[in-house]
Amino acid sequence: MDITFIKRFISASIGRKAVMAVSGLLLGGFMLVHLAENLLLFKGEAAYNAWVDFLLSNPATPLLELGLAALFFAHIITGVWVRAEDFMNAPRGYEARKWQGGRTIGSATMLYTAAALLAYLVYHMLTFRFTDHSMGFYRMVTSAFRKPVFTAVYVAGSAALALHLSHGMQSAFQTLGLNHPKYTPLVKIGGVIVALAMVGFALISLYYLLGADLTAGTASEAIIQ
Amino acid sequence: MNDSEQFSVTVRVWRQAGPKEPGKMAAYKVSGISPDMSFLEMLDILNDDLLKKGGNPVTFESDCREGICGSCGLVVNGDVHGPDEHSTVCQLHMRRFSNGDVITVEPWRAKTFPVLKDLAVDRGALDRLITAGGFISTNTGAGPDANATPVEKDKAEEAMDAAACIGCGACVVSCPNGAAMLFTGAKISQLALLPQGGPERAKRALGMVEAMDRQGFGNCSNEYECEAVCPKDIKVANIARMNREFLLAGLISER
Repeated sequence: MDITFIKRFISASIGRKAVMAVSGLLLGGFMLVHLAENLLLFKGEAAYNAWVDFLLSNPATPLLELGLAALFFAHIITGVWVRAEDFMNAPRGYEARKWQGGRTIGSATMLYTAAALLAYLVYHMLTFRFTDHSMGFYRMVTSAFRKPVFTAVYVAGSAALALHLSHGMQSAFQTLGLNHPKYTPLVKIGGVIVALAMVGFALISLYYLLGADLTAGTASEAIIQ
Repeated sequence: MNDSEQFSVTVRVWRQAGPKEPGKMAAYKVSGISPDMSFLEMLDILNDDLLKKGGNPVTFESDCREGICGSCGLVVNGDVHGPDEHSTVCQLHMRRFSNGDVITVEPWRAKTFPVLKDLAVDRGALDRLITAGGFISTNTGAGPDANATPVEKDKAEEAMDAAACIGCGACVVSCPNGAAMLFTGAKISQLALLPQGGPERAKRALGMVEAMDRQGFGNCSNEYECEAVCPKDIKVANIARMNREFLLAGLISER
């Protein structure tokens, strides 16, 4: 079997960027599903825990989790590869240099938001995935949101994600060759909407930090006690 | 010309004796400037002054001085090709400046464009990209009938827009990553849009992208600084077309 074409594909600038784009779009899709899952918190302890139980009892879940890890891995590896090359190839030595309006805050900070998201991902895995789940998932999540330090980190993570996607979503389409006056305006608006949706994570955590669920009467009795 | 309109500026310009020599900025006062002069004519006056005083003139490239050859490329006060939008630096006029202004002039800066002397750089890397597939192969002989190969009008216009690229290199030196994607995208597009470019399209896309990587041009981070400075207003949709051509060639073609 000759796999030279795969090697050639991934070693080419546009090939590895395509891997970064496809994995990025799929991860963006995952974040939307994740946001929908977090919204289930509002349905109460029973509904949220039932969903988590459904996920954990599903035999496909470990495979999907591996797939998700692979997406993160592919996105991070290609991202580091591309950025390391860019760092080496960047024009240097300008005494004065003005950006001409192409760059946005989101595009200029991609590397920093990426680093912040990676750090956040590790923190998130340690606090929710590889931890003691005996108190039940709903309580684990809502009690974490009630801690100011945790929610501060969570809000910062959401902001970094929103900024990252504000450039990343439309950038992925362009990398995959999907740019046409017919639909590119829709792609750009859609990218901004997805990016803004990520602020939803922050709003949900703040809802619990401020105890809004207690006044709204949606908290479980155990938590009120 | 009314003498009262004449003014003076101070030009801070990059001086570098050769490719391996260290360079530095040097300041010169240039007097007797008319607002109607082009920026390059102002540099001509500076060089006349320098020669009269027995100094070394400032080396810079220019050819047509009407914005169509791509030779003149300078960074003026941090602006690639100067402060005018979608213009070459030879089309910049001194009326954009005022008496007493200090103007900073730097050469194109990119890893792939080494400085030869002062403001002149070697843009041969772009020519090497063209040799990697930016052409069509055809038998010479009698010219074919003009209507033998039908071309859709819209496609012809789009190809012409891409072919407006003058290869000045502004896209490379304005890119945060020193990428040549807009140049290569335009060169691939002008042929991909026409039937004559069809037979070699896979070979062209793979060859030119590989040549781009090999020569040390950067990756595209889709920030579109190139489109903002391009004197010919080449659109980044051409980069997307190159990406399509490359992805299809890499995954589907028989090459």
